[in-house]
Amino acid sequence: MISGTRPLRLRPPAFLGARLPLAIGLGVILFWVLAALTVQFWPLDPPLDMVGRRLKPPSAEHWLGTDALGRDVLSRTLHGARFSIPIAVVVVAAAVALGGFLGAIAGFFGGLLGAAIMRLVDVTLAFPPILLAMAVAASLGPGLENAAIAMIVVWWPLYARLVRAQVLEVREREHVEAAVAAGAGPMRVLLRHVLPLCWTPVLVNATMDFGQVVLLAASLSFIGLGATPPTPEWGAMISDGAKYFYHWWIAFGPGMAILIVVLGFNFAGDGLRDLLDPRTE
Amino acid sequence: MQPGLRFSPAAGPALAALALLGLGAGLPGPAAAQDDTIVIARDNDFNTLDPSRSWCDSCQIYLTAVYDQLVRVGADNETLEPRIASGWTISEDGTRYTFTLDPDAVFSDGSPVEAKDVAFSLLRLKNLKAGASFLADGIAAIDAVDARTVAVTLTAPDPEFLGKVSSPYGAIINADLAAEHGATAGADAAETDRGEEWLLENSAGSGAYVLESYRPDDELRLAANPNYWRAAPDASAIVIREVEDAVSQMQALQSGAVDIAMQVDADTAATVSAPDVVTELVPSFNFVYVALSPGAKALEVELTRELREAVALAIDYEGVLEFTTGGAANLIASPIPPGFPGTKGLPMPKQDLARAKALLAEAGQPDGFTLIAAYPEINIYGVDLSIMMQKVQQDLAGIGVEVQLEPVTFPVWRERVGGDHIPLTAVYFAPDYYGSGQYAGYFGMIPGAGWYGRAGGDEVPGLKNAAMMALMEEVRTASPEAAVDLYHRMALEMISDRVIIPLVNPSLVLAYRKGISGMRYAVCCNLPLEELVKE
Amino acid sequence: MARYLLRRLLAMPLLLLGVATAAFLLGNVVKGDPLASILNERQMNNPEVVAAAKARWGLDRSMPERYAIYLGNLAQGDFGTSFRTKRPVMRDLLDRLPATLELVFSAMLFGSVTGIALGVAAAHWQNGPADHGARLLALIGSSVPVFWSSLIALYVFSVQLGWLPGAGRLDAAIRPPESVTGFLTVDAALAGDWHAFGNALGHLVLPSVMLGWAVLGIISRMIRASMLDVMQQDYIMTARAKGAGTLRVLLRHALRNALVPALTIIGFTFAYLITGAILTETVFSWPGIGSYAVDAARALDHPAIIGVTVLGALAFLTANLLTDIAYVFANPRIRLG
Repeated sequence: MISGTRPLRLRPPAFLGARLPLAIGLGVILFWVLAALTVQFWPLDPPLDMVGRRLKPPSAEHWLGTDALGRDVLSRTLHGARFSIPIAVVVVAAAVALGGFLGAIAGFFGGLLGAAIMRLVDVTLAFPPILLAMAVAASLGPGLENAAIAMIVVWWPLYARLVRAQVLEVREREHVEAAVAAGAGPMRVLLRHVLPLCWTPVLVNATMDFGQVVLLAASLSFIGLGATPPTPEWGAMISDGAKYFYHWWIAFGPGMAILIVVLGFNFAGDGLRDLLDPRTE
Repeated sequence: MQPGLRFSPAAGPALAALALLGLGAGLPGPAAAQDDTIVIARDNDFNTLDPSRSWCDSCQIYLTAVYDQLVRVGADNETLEPRIASGWTISEDGTRYTFTLDPDAVFSDGSPVEAKDVAFSLLRLKNLKAGASFLADGIAAIDAVDARTVAVTLTAPDPEFLGKVSSPYGAIINADLAAEHGATAGADAAETDRGEEWLLENSAGSGAYVLESYRPDDELRLAANPNYWRAAPDASAIVIREVEDAVSQMQALQSGAVDIAMQVDADTAATVSAPDVVTELVPSFNFVYVALSPGAKALEVELTRELREAVALAIDYEGVLEFTTGGAANLIASPIPPGFPGTKGLPMPKQDLARAKALLAEAGQPDGFTLIAAYPEINIYGVDLSIMMQKVQQDLAGIGVEVQLEPVTFPVWRERVGGDHIPLTAVYFAPDYYGSGQYAGYFGMIPGAGWYGRAGGDEVPGLKNAAMMALMEEVRTASPEAAVDLYHRMALEMISDRVIIPLVNPSLVLAYRKGISGMRYAVCCNLPLEELVKE
Repeated sequence: MARYLLRRLLAMPLLLLGVATAAFLLGNVVKGDPLASILNERQMNNPEVVAAAKARWGLDRSMPERYAIYLGNLAQGDFGTSFRTKRPVMRDLLDRLPATLELVFSAMLFGSVTGIALGVAAAHWQNGPADHGARLLALIGSSVPVFWSSLIALYVFSVQLGWLPGAGRLDAAIRPPESVTGFLTVDAALAGDWHAFGNALGHLVLPSVMLGWAVLGIISRMIRASMLDVMQQDYIMTARAKGAGTLRVLLRHALRNALVPALTIIGFTFAYLITGAILTETVFSWPGIGSYAVDAARALDHPAIIGVTVLGALAFLTANLLTDIAYVFANPRIRLG
């Protein structure tokens, strides 16, 4: 199988060198993580309160203008980190844990169970990711938690496949065979000798998937299957902005935020890959 | 006309190739609408095109353009005028209506409109138990006295019966034609009728237009009825194009791509000025309201009348108008909109935070409580319910009542409002005909009324309004003059119930290009298409 | 190789059965009562009406029974009737498919042509400003939320500058040409209606460019890589030594050989296009499958959701299979397991 649903990643400009993208990416991520954790304490207008006249363009008072309810767009955009960043962490962590667990079992033990897991992976990967996420989110009803569940459903098979491939390769190595020969139990061999060698590609992929999850979560909110108002989630804010299209600034801030975050994770992921695993392109 | 190149046939493909590469900067601007076809931009809410199954705002427009009713409300939005029925008589006891059909009335296939068609259509409306069947629920029997005379017997007197058959859903269908394609009208029609699929692609009416084609979410195309029995409409074709949001509608109007935009909101209309576009604000009978349900399972406190009154007094009504429509709306006193019988001189709602807080304190809830507010996430008549509810949320915070907003899709909302009920919700209402009885029968706290059920009327002691029930009974046999006073008293009862709190009576923006005339807001059908004229 | 392809082909029906089952479960094991999507609240309180509706929509049957009926209908290409439009889902889908295909094809065309041009330029001026510029453009294309960039593009090019028409496939005033292929541009050209043709084309530009942007990046990178590879080869050196012009060498010799491996990547971009099409269609009110999917999901129109997911999966699987086959033929030395 050489094709798949995993989107092809693009490398940041080479002129930036190998370490610089990583530094930029980590810087951007650090900023947003910090925002997610501490934005309540920043000197900003409250994100849910009407603090100005409605639909006012950017000014010295409101740098990114105000929305249809007179709320400060800059404040709402920064508060958006409190939703997008944790969602990305939760979805990727859950997908890695669930997919990694099932993939490791499929790879290490194989057999009927392994085959069943991999067929489930095949069926899940047969759906275009966004369609599957939409169908799941529609079944569960709107809300950020449900959107997160939908995205975990979409993402776990990618890690199942990745970890299984890794485990298959590592399993054959000498030290593993030695451990088996020495009489170690299968679970122990898997946990102590096999999985620790699989983490590099998982880490690189996970870093870049953070950005993709941020994108998909915003997309689901944009079409009304994710965050609900008045939550200052970026996709939902862009959806609000689309209703007041002539007042372009309402959608501008949250859109830039998504772009910056996704670029940041892509830079960091690429930098990490170069650092950890220079052989792969 | 926008600046740009015009395509000549020869240059077309070459420029096209350029454009596809993203290099073509100036493409042809949209041309003016072709010939005398009138193009309307609208975000349609069709649930079907089958008259007896339909139930929506767009349906009203379609059903009055393509079908005729026995009678129809005139241009004054009040008086009933003959349509298929050229005259009618009402029996002494008010239970038997005899209609004489207009001898000129013919369907679009040329066949005459006869008593059997009337019987078929109204019985099908009743027996399909779909859409607007409640309008025909009072019909006991329909007899064809002769081909041109039809008598309708009611189970009980109903002064609004003529109003009900004047509603778009009282459309008279060509019975033979519809039956040929699976439509039935018998008592078991709900199970046996197979007419919907055909009626989604064909019309079987006697109206000014016939259905030419319908593609959901894309366009509805009407052509002038060649056999129309009344004065022929001006436009040879009318196209209703699906254009989802107000901004796109306005843009299409500005560019000349459409002649009429139906759902431009006041905010958008104010942002844009174009020399060829006319925008008028006219009053409408539509309104948006919030409702409190003391019977809701998710309540943490007993939502007594005092608490409901406190909530109503906490709302900044003028502010709601400003936030939802930029002020292009009117306050509304009761669930019967201004202009309907009995609404003159009703007291307008006012914010009174001190009184609201006092009521809370008296009720033992000085610190307020929490209300879950699920509402359909829609934009209706220019009012975005999310915006409105966020404003209500802020206002109620002023008396310590915390509102948790849960925007949901319409189907989910319907299930919740009917099932466990929703403590605080918001939705809208547009009349089906001219008459105040429809409001009393829907919003009154009387058994059988829609909101009586949603508010938990049978479970919550004291919610049933005995005075309201007496008034409803009295109005059945009252003279039209006396009815006005009775409806006024009903409006006061509904205000004091504090279940339905009307918030916004939005003005309608009529937005169209110069050269279009015949634009008006009609109670029967939003926009009467047959009256439109294009210069 | 033949064995591999055969195995892939044989796996298809089983995968499709899995897909159909998963879609059925998604559409039927749901929170909420499907009747709420069909009936209005007045009717929900009337047991007679509820019973009639349940019978009409088959909701009175048990789940396994419904599953069996569903599979039987599916085998005949019948997805059932949409709760929302009240028409057969298959009809809705067929009506809307050409709009989506026209958008996806023109996005692909834009992405490929521009991507190849950028890739060649980037390879020729390796590590120059063109190379870096192409990279940055590609990187942004894959990171930007397409629903947002589409909104901004609409605002700038349609509202502010007035260069291009707004949402939709065709100006409302223009009568669509008689449907032959369902592609408005092609149909208008066939009908000789150049006015409609120009208009339809104008409407296609913005959504195609926005949708094609992500693809553009992937293709330009791929072309660049394989161009650099090819340009090291002896015959290119020879052609240069013989004094062939730079452009001639680039296009006639290098690109021709670099294209083959790069072309196989096009199928790979399909995932981007489907995702992008759903969002782009929503922003541009494009009456295609993508906006249908969104409307269905929002209205809890389960037959339509099932139909659209099955169709999407079918298209997705087919694209992946074709990509694999193309890859095998383009790289005969590759062994697949």
